[in-house]
Amino acid sequence: MTTRRPLKPTHHIVLLLLAEEPTYGVALLERLEERTAGAISLNAGSLYRTIAVLVSDGLVQPLEENSRPDGAGAPRKLYGITERGMVALRAEASRQAELLEMARELDLLEDPS
Amino acid sequence: MKRATALEALLWLYPPSHRRLYGQEMINVARHRIDRAGGGLVSKLAAAGGLVRGAAGVWKDQLGRKMAGVGRGWGLDVRFVARSLWRSRGYVLTTLVVLAAAVAANATVFSYVRGTLMTEPSYPDAESVLVVWGSNVANGQLRDVVSGPNFIDLQRRSSTFEKLAALHEDGAYVLVNGRPEVISALEVSVDFFDIVRVVPAMGRVFDTRDRMSGEAETVVITHGFWRDRLGADPGIIGRPLDFEGDPRTVIGVLPEGFEFIQPVSLFIPLHDDELAVDERMRIHYHLIGRLRPGASLADGSRELGVIAGELAAEYPAFTGWGFLAEPLHDVSVAAVRPVILILTVTVGLVLVVALVNLATLFRIRAHTRAAEISVRAALGAGRARLIRVLALETTGLSALGAAAGLAVTPFILAYVAQLVPAWITIPQSAVRVPVLVAVLDRPVAMVAFAGAVLGALLLTVPGVVSTLRVSNNLTGGSGRRVHGPMRSMRVLVGVELVVATVLCVGAALTARSAAHLLSEEVGINADGLLTLYFGDVWGLDAEGKVQYFREAVDAVEGVPGVVSAGVIDYVDFRAEDDYAHVYLLDRSFEPVFDMREEWRRVDTGLFETAGMRMVAGRGFEELDFQNTPRTAVVNEAFATKHYPGRSPVGEYLSTHDDAYRDMEIVGIVADVRSLGPASPPPPMLYVPNHGSPRGTQGMYVRVAGAPMSVAGAVREAIWSVDPSQPIQAAQPMAGLVDSWVAIPRATRLLVFALATLAWLLSAVGVFGVVSYVVRTRRSEMGIRLALGASPKRLRSDLLRTISPVVVVGVGIGLTLGVLGARAAATILYSVSPADTLSLLSALLAMCVAAFLAAYVPACRVGRVDPAEVIRAE
Repeated sequence: MTTRRPLKPTHHIVLLLLAEEPTYGVALLERLEERTAGAISLNAGSLYRTIAVLVSDGLVQPLEENSRPDGAGAPRKLYGITERGMVALRAEASRQAELLEMARELDLLEDPS
Repeated sequence: MKRATALEALLWLYPPSHRRLYGQEMINVARHRIDRAGGGLVSKLAAAGGLVRGAAGVWKDQLGRKMAGVGRGWGLDVRFVARSLWRSRGYVLTTLVVLAAAVAANATVFSYVRGTLMTEPSYPDAESVLVVWGSNVANGQLRDVVSGPNFIDLQRRSSTFEKLAALHEDGAYVLVNGRPEVISALEVSVDFFDIVRVVPAMGRVFDTRDRMSGEAETVVITHGFWRDRLGADPGIIGRPLDFEGDPRTVIGVLPEGFEFIQPVSLFIPLHDDELAVDERMRIHYHLIGRLRPGASLADGSRELGVIAGELAAEYPAFTGWGFLAEPLHDVSVAAVRPVILILTVTVGLVLVVALVNLATLFRIRAHTRAAEISVRAALGAGRARLIRVLALETTGLSALGAAAGLAVTPFILAYVAQLVPAWITIPQSAVRVPVLVAVLDRPVAMVAFAGAVLGALLLTVPGVVSTLRVSNNLTGGSGRRVHGPMRSMRVLVGVELVVATVLCVGAALTARSAAHLLSEEVGINADGLLTLYFGDVWGLDAEGKVQYFREAVDAVEGVPGVVSAGVIDYVDFRAEDDYAHVYLLDRSFEPVFDMREEWRRVDTGLFETAGMRMVAGRGFEELDFQNTPRTAVVNEAFATKHYPGRSPVGEYLSTHDDAYRDMEIVGIVADVRSLGPASPPPPMLYVPNHGSPRGTQGMYVRVAGAPMSVAGAVREAIWSVDPSQPIQAAQPMAGLVDSWVAIPRATRLLVFALATLAWLLSAVGVFGVVSYVVRTRRSEMGIRLALGASPKRLRSDLLRTISPVVVVGVGIGLTLGVLGARAAATILYSVSPADTLSLLSALLAMCVAAFLAAYVPACRVGRVDPAEVIRAE
């Protein structure tokens, strides 16, 4: 069992999305809603609170500012996962796998077949 | 645009750093969501709500992070502070001493303030409980006692007083465990306990059953007497106590701790019928009363004025008299209030000096540590961490200093308790109240401790701010130059010198005033004089009493080492509540003037034994004791008051007592200044004691040597006449005389001690500033030495930096000192507020202190090595 503190669900999903590819705020929200089928939805305040904490913990970093494709509005900031963020994700995956295994041993999971 | 503006306004809810990093993006995301949702009001409100909730969350995250940071590294910081303080032991010691001295001085004085001026009396609704004096302003008797019939009339006629009670303190002879003892007792009329509203621990207090004589005699006892003298007998109620063969039934035991003005053991009822038939003008009793609910002091006073008018109309002897009502609690603290106020002001000034001193010390400390703090800042210590270190240091030091001060306070209080008398006379009255023995209680200790720690922390703030600014500069901050630590420190030291000079002036004036007071003639030669009370011969007639007292005096004079002995009814010359109604007679023996004055009944040897000087005429001779008393002696105060501009010798007077009528004044004896040297001595009439002697007498015994060395033999001599007679309280007269001057002496000592403390503290302040100058100008001094300047020149330059402050500070201090002394001139005795000697003493003391305190650190400049300084530069 890993000793790392479990990630909060919002932190976890944001890290997973950024692990797929670096992205900016609006796109991150849209992908979040798409991947969770609308089950998790963040507002602007909550999203950037999460990003601020992840940046401060060194799990996420701002990469660069891109101009919008249409050239309109303010430039958008891209966020990407750091190496430390990847370590945290792996640790979380491992922790969840252990929990899953325990649940399986207790026949708590439905047979995938 | 409007939408963006409204959302942007919400960004101000966020911490600045978050707003700067993510503000614009949050707005973009919020606008995107609103657009996607169609731009309706609901979507706008949802976006705004999201931003508000986000702001709360971000603040929570940031504060949590900060608090977690604060919690880290305490151990390291404590070790760092300890090491840093160890390296500055001189600073630590000075700070601790300053704090401890200030805390101890304040805790001592405020223990008295709390015990006297701030303590609620033991009786409820204290503001309704008044003392009612008989008052005859024309006779100079502002606060006096009241006769029994006048009390009864007041009790019957008053409607603003719910209850009134008469009381009189007396000693009672009681057989305790088979031995006769004099027990302190208070005679009270039956409503006394209703006024003070005390509920007995056992039995009952006086009620209507005890109002009239003829019923069984009763007594109420205190808890202490019941516990200590009667063995806490649970069946005491209903049992008799033997009062010289007359039993009194114990009807009640008062609750533990009950004390009314003065500690007594027994309460004996005064019966209304007996009070009513007493002589109209034989004034004898103190009165207290409780106002009816809703009635004010003014209502009570108005009604008392009306009743006084009625009494004067009905009884011409009462003309000129009235009643004066005052809150009892005010009266009982009136005697000590002036002394307490003087001490409070003095200790307040000492506190100012100490605080200024601490501010200077902290400022210097903070500034000298700027480099060290900068290094820590450069190594990554945050501002909060640096503040924590500095606060930790101050808190630790101030807590230690305050604890040290509080630890010594009980010893100071015990010492002060030895200096002051147990009793003090209420101004302009014949009443004494016990002086509080103050103890350091928890509230005073807690306030002193918290005040010291918080005060020290506040005083650290300017130094911390300046240090952080300096460290910021050194680590590439704003680059602003730091101005003014020297300027502000000079101001601080100037303030300190002003206050210390004021105190020095006060101390010098107090000392001179007390020296004058203490050098005044007391009127009695207390050296080698022993005093005691003896005898219990109330049952004998006058002749029998005189015979017994003569035999006792003869027996005592036969004791080896005894020079002479004399008897007087009260050994203490203070007002003992025993007055004669005196009529001055003309040549045809008709009374021309009557008044109430103190009197003492004495025997032939009294004046000579006591060493009382005859001013005019003669003292008593054996012949004066042969038949009915026909001669009297008065003191100087009596002569001046009643025979202004002429000698009373050869004049005649009578008293209310039939045994003392038509007496010729044969001599004037020197005043005995029993109310203290600063108070006018009471007029006093001395008469031969064989007319109607009291059953108990006081005795003076002149001894060739230490008075107490013959005390045992004197007792045996008295018992050789009658072994059953009680003898009490043998004590040297010097102790009694000491108590007369105890208040001015104690005030002088305390003011002097506090001023000395302020003087030392101000010297510490000057020392600190000059030390600081030497330290900060070390480079300059080194270079000047290298260029050929002499150490002497540098030293005088340094002294010049502080000398204007000393001149201005001491000058202002002297002026304020004189002004302050003028305001408090009433407490000075035979000394002008601008007394030259006192002002010169204060000036000299302050200049010497300032010069030495500046010279010692200035001498260090000679130890600066120019080569070392230049290398460092």
